[in-house]
Parts: sequence; C-alpha cells; structure tokens
Amino acid sequence: MTAPALRLQGVSKHYGTVCAVDRVCLEVAPGELYALLGLNGAGKTTVMRMVLGMVRPAAGSVTVLGRGRGDRSVWAEVGYLVEAASAYPELTVRENLEVARRLRRLRSPTAVEDVVELLGLREHADRRARVLSQGNLQRLALARAVLHRPSLLVLDEPVNGLDPAGVVEVRTLLERLAREHGTAVLLSSHILGEVARVATRIGVLHRGGLLDEFATADLPDRVRRRLELTTRDDARAVRVLAAAGYTARRGPRAVVLEEDRATDRPDAVAAVLVHGGVPPTGLAVVREDLEAHFLRLVGAQAPGPREGSDDR
Amino acid sequence: MTGELAAAVHAEALKLRRSRVPWATAGAVLLAGAVGAFFMFVLQDVDRARSLGLLGTKAQLTGGTADWPGYFALTAQTVSVGGLVIFGTAAIWLFGREFSDRTATDLLALPTSRTAVVLAKLLLLLGWCSVLTVLLVLLALVLGAALGLPGWSGGAALRGAGGVLGTGLLTAGLAVPYGLAASVGRGYLPAVAVLFLTVLVAQVLAAVGHGAWFPWAVPALLAGTAGPASADTGWTGPAGVVLVALGSAAATALWWERADHSA
Repeated sequence: MTAPALRLQGVSKHYGTVCAVDRVCLEVAPGELYALLGLNGAGKTTVMRMVLGMVRPAAGSVTVLGRGRGDRSVWAEVGYLVEAASAYPELTVRENLEVARRLRRLRSPTAVEDVVELLGLREHADRRARVLSQGNLQRLALARAVLHRPSLLVLDEPVNGLDPAGVVEVRTLLERLAREHGTAVLLSSHILGEVARVATRIGVLHRGGLLDEFATADLPDRVRRRLELTTRDDARAVRVLAAAGYTARRGPRAVVLEEDRATDRPDAVAAVLVHGGVPPTGLAVVREDLEAHFLRLVGAQAPGPREGSDDR
Repeated sequence: MTGELAAAVHAEALKLRRSRVPWATAGAVLLAGAVGAFFMFVLQDVDRARSLGLLGTKAQLTGGTADWPGYFALTAQTVSVGGLVIFGTAAIWLFGREFSDRTATDLLALPTSRTAVVLAKLLLLLGWCSVLTVLLVLLALVLGAALGLPGWSGGAALRGAGGVLGTGLLTAGLAVPYGLAASVGRGYLPAVAVLFLTVLVAQVLAAVGHGAWFPWAVPALLAGTAGPASADTGWTGPAGVVLVALGSAAATALWWERADHSA
C-alpha cells in the first residue's frame, strides 16, 4: 500500500478559548485531489497552515511525505498557495518567479520559463506584479506553487479571481499533475461545482471538526433524491398519492415525494396518478448537488433551489 | 546554511534593488550631507550668511567650527541622529513589506530556512547602511573641499572618516530592533512607533545626562552631540549597542522560526 503524501492525526488548534481545529484526522494519497469544504471560519486555512508548518498544532501530528514536523527538507517537495494570492509589486512576473526559484534553490535554468508557459503568463512575464489583474496575480501565485513540480500541493482557493477559461486551465493542470507526476493535492474552494469536478475526495470541515469525508465518485449515492411532479390539480394529486400509500407534500413549485420507492420507481407513481385521474404534466427525480449536500451537512440554509436533476 | 544564505541574499538583493528604498534613503543621506555643508558654509562667515539671508537676524550658532575636524564631527552627528531614522526606515521596509504586501507566507515553507531569510535581510541592511555612510563621507570630502575648509591632514581625515563610519555601523546595529518590531507587529506602523519612541527617549536621556545607559543615545554621544564631556561612554556604551543588535537579530530569527504565522 502506498504511503500517504499527507497524514493528519488528531490535529487540534486553539486560539484562546476558540477552538479553530478539533481533532482532525485525514490522509491524502499520492495522485489524489482532496478538497476541504467548509463555511468561513470552519478551520480550512488553519489546517493548511498546520500542514505547512506555519502554525503549531496544540495536539496531534502532521506527517508530510513521510516526514514529521522539524524536517525542513520536505518543503523542497511541497508547493502552496495559502489565502490571497500575493507577489512583490515592484518585481515583474518573471522576477517574482526568479525570487521563488532562488529561495527554492532550483538549479534548472529553464524552470521559470517553463512555468511561465505552463500558466499562460508569457505575455505578462515582463509586467510588474502591481499592474496585474486579480486573475493574472492568481496565475502567478499558482506558477510559484508548481514551479518545482511538487509532490504535495496545498492550495487555498486556487481558482479565486480566475475567469471561466482560467478555472478550466487550473483544473486541467491539477489533474495533469496528479495523473502524470503523482502530485497529491489538498485544496479548498468555495466554488463547489468546481470542487465536485476536480476533487477525487472531499472532506467537510465544520466548526473545526471533520464532519464528513467521502469519495467524489460516491457522491450520487450519498445525496438525497426526491421526486418532483406537477399536475393540473396538485391538491388532488396529493390525495390520490396518499390513498395509494405515498407520503407526498405540496412544495412551492411541485408535489414532492422523498421516499425511496417513489424515487426508484417514478413510473409507478405516474401510473397511480393516471389511474386517479390526475396525470402528471411533469415528472423528475431531482438529486442534491454538492452545494445542497454540503449545506445540509453543516446545517446552513441553502439560498434557493439549485439542485441538478436527472432521470427526467 | 551557506548555500541557503547565498540563495536568500540573492533573492533579497533583487527585491531591494527593484524597490524605491535605495533611491529614497540615498536621497535622504545626500540631503543630510548637504545640510551639514550648509552649516559649514554659515559657520565660515556668519555675517556673510546673514547678509545673504541664510541666517535670521536673531539666530545664534554655537558648538561648531568651520574646519575639517568640525565638519567630520558634524557628519558623525548627522549619521547618529538622521541615520537612525534613515537606517531604521530601511529596516522597517525590509521586514514590514512582507506583511503589507502579504508575501510573508511565501517565505515560510521553503527549503531555504526562515533564519536564512532573516539573516539575508539583516546582512543587506548592514551592507546598505555601510554604503550610505560611505556615500555621506564621500559627499563630505567633496563639499568640504569645495568650501575650502581649513585643517586638512591625512591623519585628521582618516580619524574623521573612521569616526563617521564607526558611528554609521553602531547606528545600523541599532536599526535591527525595528526589523523585529515590524515582524512582531506584522507591518510598518508598530515599527514606526518604536522608531519614534526610541529617538524621543534617546533625546530625553541624553539631555538629562543618562544617555550612556540607553543604546540608542550612544552613537550620538560618541559623535559629540552632547559635548566632549559626554562623548566618553566607556566600553558599556558600544557594548550595549552590540548587545541590542545581536539580541534583536537572534530574537527576529527566533520569532520567524517559532511564532504562529496564522495571518
């Protein structure tokens, strides 16, 4: 079995009386893209700072690429972007990367040019960082993080400020690093749709604790489904379904059934309605998306119906 | 560590070179040198200066002689007081900019240690302060010659220039704690407050005759700002300055290595 690229065991951090991170355990395998989700203040950035040795855990242990805290050599194999993208404003993009190359003690003379190309920064390479757009500043910060083709990447909100094309580029880059170089990626993002696309595993942090953890591939089996149907007389439809043993309720837009026998067999529900004289005018099995699932897990209010649907 | 330090010095030098700090501090030093030369010009012939409108009718000038030893003494005093502000500003920028530009995080998890980064910044500070002091000495030599000051001799020039350079080095050492203040305060403002506080306290303690015990007053006392009687601080004066410089350097490195960098 491959040793994990990152292992957190019972890691906690307190700031005064505030518990920022509470006994978090997680592992990220080489080549895995692990996304941390959480509301503001959930502890994502503190976890990342503890991984990077910037914050000392009050309890627990952090093992990075098989090495514990105190072995500084490990940072040669770790790239990171924590919180806001930043750069030395008076230096050009190329010079900012040159500073990073020197501090990372990379000998490759082409490292800077390679990463400039990789992140699509060629036309901005000689521009000072102070005049860069937020998106290009983010690209520069990402370029610095992957300059040395790290074995572990820690990225806090990596697609912040990027346009849709930039988001796709970063996703492709991360997937390529994971696939071709076996880079393990620990990332956080508020763009849950993007997380669902890029991450192979997701951990939900809430009030400092790891509330849930699952493989993204398992998401369809974990999310709630419901059958939504519309008729010309919804009140009568609810009565007909109740008479047939279904538990139906009138939602704001449709009649809703949440029991498995309804979502598994929507055709049977349709048949009941047809026989009851209220044939459905619309019928759909609606599946929670990651956002709705996440908000339900953390007990927050969803802003509105944004679920995806299938089996229509 | 040598390789790490070299890497950090290279990186820090690039950052310093591209900034406005070298120009701004060099400009301030040149201005201070020019002000010193102006005083020499006035002292050479007070009536001439008064007739040219350079001196108010009620102005009284005391404690200076318009000759080379007097000019070197004035230059050393300029370094001890003005230099503290200029060197302190450079120290505050070197460390404080990492927080105001939010780049400090990028220095924390690298194969180059945080201690190497701190040492590189301090070496550049010491180096640049030395360059500024040499610049001031060169300016004094040029302006002193242009004014035709009397009392030139090779020995006097060496003594005078050595005094200015020594004062410059001591003053540079006293700028190190401002780097610590900018680090712990995570930005410019707390360090600027410490700079003002130390300058103020140094003035007050020097005025009441206890300056020898306050390291920030020592270079000015040694340069003769409070008169020849106060210029002998004994070995404790310079030793205190060295202690402050080394202690602050160690504390800064320790802070970068051990503090929780949560912001």
